[in-house]
Amino acid sequence: MLGASFTLLTVFASCSKDDPELVEEQELITAVELKFTSANTAAQTVRWTLDTNSTPSIVLQSNTQYQVAVSFLDESDPADVEDITEEVKEEADEHQVFYEFSGVSLDFSSADSDVLDSNNNPLYVNSVWNTNASGSGTVRLYLIHEPLTKTSSNRSGFGGETDVEVDFTIVVQE
Amino acid sequence: MKYFVCFLLLAVYWPTAINGQSCEYQLEGQVIDLHDNLPIFGAVVAIEGTDLFGQTDEEGNYNITGLCKGFIRISVTHALCDTIERNINLRSNTKLNFELEHHINELNEIVLSENEIRRISASVNESKLNADQLTRLSNQSLSETLNTLVGVSSLKTGSSIAKPMIHGLYGSRVAIIANGMRLQDQEWGADHAPTIDLNGFESVQVIKGAAALKYGGDTAGGMIVLTPEKKGIKDSLYGSSVLNGVANGRGGSGSSRLTKTFSNGYYVSGQFTAKQFGDRQAPDYLLTNTGLKETSIGIALGRTKIQTGWEFNYKRFQNETGILRSAHIGNIGDLLRALESNVPLRIDSFDYDITSPKQQALHQNLQVTYFDQLSDETKLKLDYNVQLSNRKEFDVRRGNRSDRAAIDLTLQTHEFLGSLERQKRFNWDFEWGINGVFQDNYSNPETGVKRLIPDHQRYQLASFITGKYSPSNLFLWEWGLRADQIFLNAQKFYDTTDWKQRGYELDFAEFEQKDFGTQLLVNPKYNFTNISGQTGISVQLKEGITSTFSYILTQRAPNVSELFSDGLHHSLAAIEYGSLNLGKETSHKLILGIKKESKVFSFGFDPFLNSINDFIYINPSGVELTIRGAFPVWEYQATDVLMWGIDAYVSIRFSDQFSYDANAAYTYAQNVTENKPLISTPPLSLFQQLSYTFTPSKIEIQLAHRLTARQNRFPNTNFLVNQLELGEISEREVDVSTPPDTYQILDLYFSLPLSKQKKLKSSLRFIIQNLTNVTYNDYLNRLRFYSSELGRNIQLQLVLNY
Repeated sequence: MLGASFTLLTVFASCSKDDPELVEEQELITAVELKFTSANTAAQTVRWTLDTNSTPSIVLQSNTQYQVAVSFLDESDPADVEDITEEVKEEADEHQVFYEFSGVSLDFSSADSDVLDSNNNPLYVNSVWNTNASGSGTVRLYLIHEPLTKTSSNRSGFGGETDVEVDFTIVVQE
Repeated sequence: MKYFVCFLLLAVYWPTAINGQSCEYQLEGQVIDLHDNLPIFGAVVAIEGTDLFGQTDEEGNYNITGLCKGFIRISVTHALCDTIERNINLRSNTKLNFELEHHINELNEIVLSENEIRRISASVNESKLNADQLTRLSNQSLSETLNTLVGVSSLKTGSSIAKPMIHGLYGSRVAIIANGMRLQDQEWGADHAPTIDLNGFESVQVIKGAAALKYGGDTAGGMIVLTPEKKGIKDSLYGSSVLNGVANGRGGSGSSRLTKTFSNGYYVSGQFTAKQFGDRQAPDYLLTNTGLKETSIGIALGRTKIQTGWEFNYKRFQNETGILRSAHIGNIGDLLRALESNVPLRIDSFDYDITSPKQQALHQNLQVTYFDQLSDETKLKLDYNVQLSNRKEFDVRRGNRSDRAAIDLTLQTHEFLGSLERQKRFNWDFEWGINGVFQDNYSNPETGVKRLIPDHQRYQLASFITGKYSPSNLFLWEWGLRADQIFLNAQKFYDTTDWKQRGYELDFAEFEQKDFGTQLLVNPKYNFTNISGQTGISVQLKEGITSTFSYILTQRAPNVSELFSDGLHHSLAAIEYGSLNLGKETSHKLILGIKKESKVFSFGFDPFLNSINDFIYINPSGVELTIRGAFPVWEYQATDVLMWGIDAYVSIRFSDQFSYDANAAYTYAQNVTENKPLISTPPLSLFQQLSYTFTPSKIEIQLAHRLTARQNRFPNTNFLVNQLELGEISEREVDVSTPPDTYQILDLYFSLPLSKQKKLKSSLRFIIQNLTNVTYNDYLNRLRFYSSELGRNIQLQLVLNY
């Protein structure tokens, strides 16, 4: 009996262990890109990444219409950049892109090229922005996961969990 | 006083007579209590040097046959008392009675059942729950059950996850000892409920401080000791079943236990519990995704003789716990919306489904125990156990990944505990032992989420010696010393930028192992030498009044969460970081106890004082910007802490039928270095209960009242966030500090015995918790921001004993 107990002791394990594997993170979003196109001006791409110390700046003309496309990227491995926007579009029912503005008056709506969910609610990955008078302020971009409702005029109304919330400075010039 | 101990142990073996000796003599008699002449059940009267023994029945009578003529040495043993010896010269059939005396500082009333609970520490007062009380709480988790004891609170994460807290300390500072070995199940996690089912045990004792050094020297809070039933040495088959139907959650549980014992000492015992309920109900709304599924199996096989015995014990515990859906938030903006809402933001209709966020745990425990009374003075006990604990946490994830765990930890522990106990004389008792632990944690990378806790191994070797000196019933002195050597070896990935920013590149360059560019594989190694000790006395002042005083020193090495934590906690909306700079904690605790016990009026008053140097805790340290916006950052750091408190109870027996019990607990905890209160300190709590038993029907009614006061001592950990609302950016304060108001709850308990036949005893119980459906929040519930606590819960319980 005594002997049995002691032999069990020798099961004291793993002499050499393998090093742990590096985790391949799959849902990380490390960068957000906004691409602005309009009839009269050159295309503008503004990027937000974790490393930028200053808030990125968007410069738009007043009283102009812009086509705006948002991209969510995983650049944690620069050699293998993942476009998370595809997953967002595939799960249109569970996601919502939204914008809120302060300091400037701007209207945005769904673009023709936008993705609709199964109830025909716009996702706003592709949107149309109509600038009004000049001014400067902030635009906050949201990516909402599992919103409670798909129709709302502000962030609070959507509910759900925020996966992305980034600020851009916006300047609307004459 | 000639007789101090309950049992006399006859250790001397006088040579038996030569062949031709007549061996047909009989020894019989009765064992009774010295004070009140009541019979003692379950005492073992043994003839030293032979296999002959007898056990006293319910009338205290024993009977031994087949004895040889001549000098014999008789020993009398009982679970609660020390052994007693007596020599006689047997010349004919003899009738011999024994009178036993319990220690004054142990139970005052003799419990006439097989389930006597042996005290673990004599110089620190214990709180305990016996089998009957455990049955009543059979449907609840361990922590919820212990909550009823004075000085014990629960740190909760929602309604189904609770961890025990003793004197304001929890996690690695509280150990759970089951069947003589420590439960190893990632107890460092504040949201890791203990993976153990109380239904497999006969009694629960709570010891404040590390008064039982045998099991560990690092538990400044205390120890919770779970003891299985003692098996008798006779032919028997018995068991019990408890069936619970629970209205809140529309579920229930069933638990059954069966034990077969043989007169040659063999026994086999099995236990099975299954529990399930769906979404729980708060008074004003349903708590979506708060269901629970749990199963637990245990098998024990062994042999117990008086001198020696062994046991194999296997337990398997598995559960799946839903976490309130509305508690899963993305960022501070989400938290603000939750704080401002009176109801959870997501309420679906009732179902039993458990979806993300949720936890899954599987814990297996295989234990081998052996004991041997090597000589009349010395007893050897060996325990070896293997525990395998897997924990998975599921988050709400994108891309159909909600079914893949975000955290997947497998903890494997091998532990050995050997002790040698020597009872040198009536007055002195020593125990010396060795404890060895090997533990390995594997953090599965298949989750696709950066590991919250890294892969690591822990090697621990400890030795302890404890002693007790009791020259009379009136005085006892207890002491102990323990030394632990711990080696921790981890392998963790750090972001290269983080590693540099935190200064680790300078301080811990020797840990760097491999560079992966943006990530660095680091191999931290730590060695700790911890010393712990305890000394205490117990003095009987007057008839029925006992005073105890104990000083306890504990040292605790930082756990893996405190050292290596790294990540975002969704429901807490905080980023937590461990610190490689942490060292061990040293705690000095003084516990005073004054206790009066008598038939009519009993009370207890236990103040304590606890000073902890280099106390490790988590504290806000700044703000970090992420893709979800800004988050408060909390970091583990060390500080000096001073705590004191009082546990008190009172018990009045107006008559055999009518009684009143009350208890109160208060804890004061101050972060001395920062000169502010310590977070998550349990507030003042009061409990009182009126019980009435009808005769002769034995119907029992109990009304209980609980009050938990508002915690007015708390640190301000609020922070500011920029919210964009109605075209304006404004700074908002996020109030996560303010504790909820005082609340009071009433519980009603009703018990009706159904049948009293010897073979089958059954009773029906009716339990209503939160009788008046009060809406309240608990400060120690980390998810209190998202919902209120449970509303009224009506339970029906059927108990069968066979």
